[in-house]
Amino acid sequence: MKGKVAVIGVGMIKFGELFEKSLENMIQEAYLNCLKSVDKGIDPKEIKAAWFGQWSGGYIGQGSQSGATLASMIGNLDIPVTRLENACPTGGDTFRHACLGVASGLYDVVLALGAEKMRDKPSAESMMAAGGGGADTGWHPSWMLGQGGPVIQAMHAVRQMHDFGYTMEDFARVAVKNHLNGTLCPFAHFQFKVSIEQVLNSPSICWPLHLLDCCPQTDGAAAAIVCRADIAKRYTDKPIFVLGTNVGIDHSQLWDRNSFVEQPATVKAGKGAFKMAGIKPADVDFAELHDCFTNTELLNIEDLGFARKGEAAGMLKEGQFDRNGSRPINPSGGLKAHGHPIGATGLGQILEVVTQLREEAGGRQVKLKNGIGLQHNIGGPAFGVSAVNILSRTS
Amino acid sequence: MAGIVGYGVYIPRYRIAKKEVGTPWGNSAPGEKAVCGSDEDIVTMAAEAMVNAINHSDIDPTEIEAIYIGTASSPYIEQQIAPILAETLSLHPETTMIDFSGSLNAVANAVLGCLDAIAAKRIKCGIVVGCEDRATAPGTEGDVNFGAGAIAMVIGTHGTIADFEGIHTYSTLFMDRWHATGDKWVSNWYDYRFDREYGYQKHVIEACRGLIQKLGKDATTFKHVALPEPDDRIRDLPAKMLGIPRDNLAPVMSSTLGDLGSCSVFISLAGILDSANPGDRILLASYGSGSSNAMGLVVRDQIEPKRKRIVPLAKYINGRQPITYTSYLKLKEHLVRAPY
Amino acid sequence: MAQPTPASPLFWRFNAEVFRLIGIKCQDCGHISYPRTKICHECGSLNVQEYKLPKKGSIHTYCVNWTPPPQFEPPITPVVVDLEGGGKYLGLMTEVDKPEEIKIGSRVEMVLRKIMTDRGLNVYGYKFRLAEV
Repeated sequence: MKGKVAVIGVGMIKFGELFEKSLENMIQEAYLNCLKSVDKGIDPKEIKAAWFGQWSGGYIGQGSQSGATLASMIGNLDIPVTRLENACPTGGDTFRHACLGVASGLYDVVLALGAEKMRDKPSAESMMAAGGGGADTGWHPSWMLGQGGPVIQAMHAVRQMHDFGYTMEDFARVAVKNHLNGTLCPFAHFQFKVSIEQVLNSPSICWPLHLLDCCPQTDGAAAAIVCRADIAKRYTDKPIFVLGTNVGIDHSQLWDRNSFVEQPATVKAGKGAFKMAGIKPADVDFAELHDCFTNTELLNIEDLGFARKGEAAGMLKEGQFDRNGSRPINPSGGLKAHGHPIGATGLGQILEVVTQLREEAGGRQVKLKNGIGLQHNIGGPAFGVSAVNILSRTS
Repeated sequence: MAGIVGYGVYIPRYRIAKKEVGTPWGNSAPGEKAVCGSDEDIVTMAAEAMVNAINHSDIDPTEIEAIYIGTASSPYIEQQIAPILAETLSLHPETTMIDFSGSLNAVANAVLGCLDAIAAKRIKCGIVVGCEDRATAPGTEGDVNFGAGAIAMVIGTHGTIADFEGIHTYSTLFMDRWHATGDKWVSNWYDYRFDREYGYQKHVIEACRGLIQKLGKDATTFKHVALPEPDDRIRDLPAKMLGIPRDNLAPVMSSTLGDLGSCSVFISLAGILDSANPGDRILLASYGSGSSNAMGLVVRDQIEPKRKRIVPLAKYINGRQPITYTSYLKLKEHLVRAPY
Repeated sequence: MAQPTPASPLFWRFNAEVFRLIGIKCQDCGHISYPRTKICHECGSLNVQEYKLPKKGSIHTYCVNWTPPPQFEPPITPVVVDLEGGGKYLGLMTEVDKPEEIKIGSRVEMVLRKIMTDRGLNVYGYKFRLAEV
């Protein structure tokens, strides 16, 4: 992958509860913002293939979609377009496929776009759909009743508390950091700060997780244009290069899993991506990690090798992951404050990584050392899928 | 005749004072009754009673060739309960699976079915299961009195703890209370005094009298006597008419667990067997909708070595947890949350 | 969106696994996969043997779900249980009066319970109850 693929444009819309915007409105806006972001301009006809990331249509009232959905909404019916889904890492994996498309040598310039319209259903319903709380899971309800992100991550949190002595304050601290970051990011769903007390006083969703420990149900769309590294300069003087891209897999049934303080999908995605990039975790300046729940951010930090098991909470408390800390995590506000429109999330994170690496992040700019940023997602019925992309300002 | 190889009961843990249920509607009764939890029903109760019975019997479930279940509380008019319970024991598809329903005589009828199959040498060993949790409506006598519980008895010819000595049935067309297909509750007694005397007492007395004669015994030889308990006092007259000393009647259950319907007399039997001695004779008679099955049992030596394997009725009686009337209303679905 | 009823092939197919607890134990890596399957979920081996899950175990992890699906009274308590002899099982607790009673390591046993009702048909399955010490 090294030296083969570059990002030349990124665009998104503000994530949030966008009741006035349809899936088509969001896709078009993100796409147009993405085209506009290409410094030296680009003719849409130069895009020769596209990947459309959307987690769900049917569950949340958006029907059954395909690659044609994106193609017709951007008015380009002459290229191959694939709709792709891989649970919560859909966005990151969509980006990965776009990179593979270019790295394969088949396409010079391609588009990756993710979009999710979650708020046409009450938020409780879309949250339930995201885990299949009732019988509708293909599995037996005696196992799966009420299952979903909150239940699974709460189960991890309970073990983190038991094994490492993590507390609900430790988890809440993630929300405090990310909400603060979110107030500096114009695209973030939430634009308000929270305190530890506010988090701990918010209603219990799934003990030990409170409402403010959970990412919101969000609408949004984000896109990236990716091209052959050796022609990137045609489009921008600040191409950002893809060093590594990987998907890591673990079990899809929660009861097949061994440990609830480690998510092997992340570990494997990270290891493979670091190997492809030829770098170590310590070389990464900052990262956008999948904090669907506050405790998950701590798991992710440890699983990717930015901290040893049981140490992330302490490092967070010391401020090491703050925007001006030694390794900023989620300068965009993370899923917690920036939002989680599932198909778009990963691409929104890519936009943040690219923006930071180009040093165009304004008030929320992080300090760069090696000019390397990492994007990470994890999800699935047992959190068995993870996507990691590593980008750099040098090839 | 065949006998009981082992038995098990299940009573849910929730209890509500009968007066809490009755007073708002102008009814009352002494004591309390057992109530199913929100995830319990006749099937789940039966499943645990069956596990207890298998453990007590000390047999392999594969020895069971037939499952006879009796209930007046089935949630289905067309769909059997027996196959669900057969799954819980991993029984073979060639197992006979029969549901008895239609009256409070259902469990006694299931016993007859099992004994007849053994006598016909069609099977050697079967399990009889009774489970009850009748639907009620606010303001009815049933709402005040009906409890919930289950009983399972492995019946066979080997290793029995008590053998059947005789059966005598007595049935006529008689309507005292009913649950019609479209109704969501069991009706009140049509006329309590009429129904008590010409229904329950008449049929129980005739069935028992017939059995006692058949066995050529005296009523006093039965150390333990079990009769159904719709209420605390209904057994007194039959006992008197049959010459049964009141002390030989099984301990009152209706004011601790409620009226357990078709399971009532067999759960009483379980309580008796928990402490009976070899050689004791037991007389029991069921009653439901104009039918009574009287049965005589004699306790065998095996009862003592197997006794350590039982989960006694007393444990379930004592493992009680009181609930409020509001909880009761929700559990019995008298109060249901609006769908939207 | 209509959900499959207990009458659907999905539920019928699961009867043996749900009621009889039939899984497999991999003869190569020892992993217990459930429901039964031809290929070991952990290592991909075909060298698997049927294995009946035990009904007893201890709590590996849990949480207290205050936002269950609409027809269920909160809270419900999902648990992942370490079964005796290996393997794990995901299910709900029953007879939990105080969520504080539930701890990692608490001994539990499976009991049959009614999971839900759909179109008048009941779905049964195992839940866990705290076992007596």
